[in-house]
Amino acid sequence: MNKILHPFYNIMTSIEVTNLQKTFQTKRKAAGLSGSLRALIKPEYSSVEAVHSLSFKMEAGELLGFIGPNGAGKSTTIKMLTGILHPSSGAAKVLGYIPWIDRQKLAYHIGTVFGQRPQLWYHLPAMDTFMLFGKIYELDDRETKKRIEYLTEAFEIGDLLDVPVRKLSLGQRMRCEVAASLLHRPKLLLLDEPSIGLDVVAKQHIRDAIRRMNQEEGVGVLLTSHDAGDLEALCKRVIIVNHGQIVYEDKVSNLKRNFLTTKLVQVRYALEVSKDFSINGVETLKVGHYGVKLKFDTTKTPVDSVISHLSEAGDIMDITISDPPLEEVISKIYQEANA
Amino acid sequence: MKTFSKYWSIFQITLINSLAYPGELAGRSLMIIPFMWIFYQLWKVTFNAAGVDAMNGLTLHDTLWYLMLAETIELGRPPIARTMSENVKDGSIAYILNKPYDFLLYQFSTAMGETIFRAMLNAIFGGLTVLWLVGTPEHPEGFLIALPAILGAWVLHFCINAMIGLSAFVVEDVSAFTWIYQKFSFIFGGMLIPLDFYPQWLQTFAKFLPFSSAIYGPARLFVTPTTEIFINVMTLQLGWIVVLTFLLTIAYRRGLTQLTVNGG
Repeated sequence: MNKILHPFYNIMTSIEVTNLQKTFQTKRKAAGLSGSLRALIKPEYSSVEAVHSLSFKMEAGELLGFIGPNGAGKSTTIKMLTGILHPSSGAAKVLGYIPWIDRQKLAYHIGTVFGQRPQLWYHLPAMDTFMLFGKIYELDDRETKKRIEYLTEAFEIGDLLDVPVRKLSLGQRMRCEVAASLLHRPKLLLLDEPSIGLDVVAKQHIRDAIRRMNQEEGVGVLLTSHDAGDLEALCKRVIIVNHGQIVYEDKVSNLKRNFLTTKLVQVRYALEVSKDFSINGVETLKVGHYGVKLKFDTTKTPVDSVISHLSEAGDIMDITISDPPLEEVISKIYQEANA
Repeated sequence: MKTFSKYWSIFQITLINSLAYPGELAGRSLMIIPFMWIFYQLWKVTFNAAGVDAMNGLTLHDTLWYLMLAETIELGRPPIARTMSENVKDGSIAYILNKPYDFLLYQFSTAMGETIFRAMLNAIFGGLTVLWLVGTPEHPEGFLIALPAILGAWVLHFCINAMIGLSAFVVEDVSAFTWIYQKFSFIFGGMLIPLDFYPQWLQTFAKFLPFSSAIYGPARLFVTPTTEIFINVMTLQLGWIVVLTFLLTIAYRRGLTQLTVNGG
């Protein structure tokens, strides 16, 4: 009975959030002994508004990016959407359920990964946690094993399942963590910073597997991250939050067109170079004897013309092309919103 | 059936997990050996000084076996409140709360999983030490009769500790409460001194409290396995379990609305 989707679940909408608000009470204390004594006698509290009047919708099977800098309210929102935290005010429905009231029923239909917290049993092989989750989500043993086989192939974790989790690298562990959260075929996957601390290869592995699960099983993904790469690689639509409020909501393609237009290029040459790096429309950030760091706007200067100009200077030993930090993009969006 | 099976699996995985470091598990349990030796020296001197063979029905031999079981129960129980407090402080409570099971039954299953091997090793090392010091217990069958009361003691301990642990939902750090609980268990639970040695008025008062049901009751039943004591201990335990489970459920519902999950 518990595993049946909510009867009022609208098949087209996974998440519907209206004016969601969460305020935490934080104890204030002045520094030093006198401050501590004063706080004992007359404690002072201040309110921190982690999420402020948040409203948005997510379609079933959608890949939605929910991004923002540290302290923007992303994780608090995810925790309210899983029912762990009660909101101060506002309403939310996830797969037709009110999360903080129907937390257990909802849990059968959603998967969650909190990138900074392990859910696998640390001293045991991941297989033990997978089998335990099979029981917790009330799957038959045969069904659990079949599902593990499928996830093992999708996440390439075949040789990792029998190794104690503590012996796995962070990238290997995260692949197992995400796979574990998909064991019960959830309709919705809530990923809170799944790529935090991972190297490029590990990030790519996880992104590929998530994309595959979305395509093959139609699982919707709400992804929080402060890595613009996750957003570009996975999401079709993006919501940017800052100080608990939505500051931008649009398709990722529009965000890229409008805001992710600058690129940073860092080049290291095999031999000393003495070329003049000034190119029209390109800002030189740093020049050394063996390298240069440039910044340019891709809408004004094509990437290939910058690269060919740089390669004319000498034999390139290493080149890195990166997006500006997300904080920079957000502050640009913020400035435009306030203008 | 599937509901029972999920809690049984949680119990099993915790049991396996407790064997991850067998050396540490065994090493910790060896502590009961010096404890029992100190108790033996202490009570031998006391009985000799009093010039009696028995005090309020307990001989030195009974007292030692009583203390062995009391220590086995006490040292076997896991730090539930501290674990719950750590879960709140480091934010890992987020994973415990977002699964389709009853939070309190989950905590109970893990607590029991952590208890079994610890208690078994304590009973083995403690039992062998007391056997060497004073010889076999007068009623070896008392252990089997006391078994339901030992289980009841752990359930009771879980209820009290989970109540303390739930306060972490509001205050985060519960070490002060666990410290108070431990001291109450020492005094009113009969962990260092059997309650029979207390003045009558204090005995009556202490025996009614849940602390004694969680230690004194089963240990006393072990050394004097009579039907009367069995009924007394089990009735009192059951009463406290019903009251505390009710309070625990209310505290959990209220605590959930107060919870602040730390971390990004």
